Amino acid sequence: MDFFWHIVITIAHTLPTFLGYNLVFGRGKILHFGPYGVSIAGAYALFLTLMHTQNYALAILAGLAVALTISLLFAFLSLRLTPDSFGVMSIAMHLAMIAVVLNFSFLTRGALGLPSIPRLPFLEEIEALAITAIAIAIGFAFLFYRLEHSSFGRALTALAEHEWHAKSLGVNRTKVTVIAFLLLAVAHVHGNFFYGQHIQFVHPNDFQFSHFVFLIMVIVAGGPGSMRGVILSAVLITLLKEGIRFVPLMPDVLGPIRLILFGLILFGAVWWRRDALFPKQRTV
Amino acid sequence: MQLLVNAFIAGSLAALIAGGLALVYGVLGIFNIALGQMVLVGGYATWWLHQSVGLPLFLSIPGGIAIGGLVAWLAFEIFVNPFYKHHRFLPLVTTIALSMILDGIILLLFEERPRSILPGLKETFIVYGARVSIEHIVLVVVTLLLLSLLAYVLHSTALGRRIRAVTQHDHAAMSLGIPAPVLHRVLFIMSGVLAACGGIFIGIDQSLTPTLAFALTIKAYAAIIAGGNGNVWGAILCAYVIALLEQLVIGVHWFNVFYVPAGFQHTIALLFIIFFLFFRPQGLFATRARTA
Repeated sequence: MDFFWHIVITIAHTLPTFLGYNLVFGRGKILHFGPYGVSIAGAYALFLTLMHTQNYALAILAGLAVALTISLLFAFLSLRLTPDSFGVMSIAMHLAMIAVVLNFSFLTRGALGLPSIPRLPFLEEIEALAITAIAIAIGFAFLFYRLEHSSFGRALTALAEHEWHAKSLGVNRTKVTVIAFLLLAVAHVHGNFFYGQHIQFVHPNDFQFSHFVFLIMVIVAGGPGSMRGVILSAVLITLLKEGIRFVPLMPDVLGPIRLILFGLILFGAVWWRRDALFPKQRTV
Repeated sequence: MQLLVNAFIAGSLAALIAGGLALVYGVLGIFNIALGQMVLVGGYATWWLHQSVGLPLFLSIPGGIAIGGLVAWLAFEIFVNPFYKHHRFLPLVTTIALSMILDGIILLLFEERPRSILPGLKETFIVYGARVSIEHIVLVVVTLLLLSLLAYVLHSTALGRRIRAVTQHDHAAMSLGIPAPVLHRVLFIMSGVLAACGGIFIGIDQSLTPTLAFALTIKAYAAIIAGGNGNVWGAILCAYVIALLEQLVIGVHWFNVFYVPAGFQHTIALLFIIFFLFFRPQGLFATRARTA
């Protein structure tokens, strides 16, 4: 039964991140390949503050402040560089963040991670944690649904389809891009908080590039920009990811096989969804 | 002096990888995220042929290069060719999938242990106060020869003129009878071969580990972006500049107070490039594309 709740919490706490990234990459077609750079910075700010002060409100504020600041940096970079150059440099930023966490070991404990993260008193029971995570995930899903159907969502779609045309119609690219990045940062802080409450341990390996591949795989497989598709693919691919643990293979074989399998799924998803992922531009 | 020599050796490796890639980016307009893994394929294949099969080094190196070229050709046919004409950003995602697949295969076949093509201590000697080995000199000379060959092919042969024509305007070149799709394939394989040479360089100079891949990819692309997207010589120059920055960051006793920990070597150079791109996003040597 605990495994069932573990799956429920895993899906619920990652769903806002998937939906946030769906907004940036799926709908906005912004090649942001460093979301886990924002996530690791926010997570360490949150949990280090929590462990030093035991004050949840202050910790969440610290996590938010750091994640939003790094996101602004990413947003600014995305506005300055060509889309594909930004894609590569965002991976560089992500790797830089991991290097900072690993090397500032006097503060972050480096490769040892942060153990014994305290839980909120009312989230001690796993069922309570699961129900809270589901309730908040539904709240986020509602928020993203409203945003996608608002003028902001239409502006983001217009910019993705044809930037110059959108700008000539009065769409403010800077404002729309910054909002999309900030929303993703908020979703990351939420995901980190619940991940810490559930596992009570944070490690730099939880933010490696393979986790990003899982994120992009969910978006592409679900249909970029489609909320319903992304939710469905998040559930199915999380079940697959967690189910692989039970395959009777040695861990040093299982790890590489998981990489190959996820690589093949991502490739298949891009093949299947290539028209939705980057549609051919309209011509006269 | 030692810092400069180290920077020159590391820069030669990065230039070898970045040069071929800049050409691919200039012509096809695509980034290959699996580049680091393609570097490792060449290195590990040479290690396998030399250390496991027992072939002599002069046969193992061409074998490693051939396997690197073969993997690059397969990568082009499966992960790039069906996608890049549809939209040039699609290969950015498909090569992420390729990088995961190659990572998994490398881990399965060669495990996480460091593998050196020529294990054991290398004999070194002092030149102008800097310690170098015979292997270093051979690797740097071979790299410079390869880059000179690239320059000769690009600027003094009919093939080079065709390549430059396709770089400037794909469709205009095709209308003049230049087979652009064939050149795309040749250039991608050539970049794979140069990447495989880079892997062999690493395997002889240091040792190969699967974790090297992403750092190599990002450094090569940082050089390409900072050099001005698609400018081969700008990319090569920036590869040397990044290598020099990396050496200076950790080798200098800053303000006579502190040394930067070695773990920040790659990070600080990359952050510098990102900072630089804020002010000159088109890179150092960006060239304008021809228009009507």
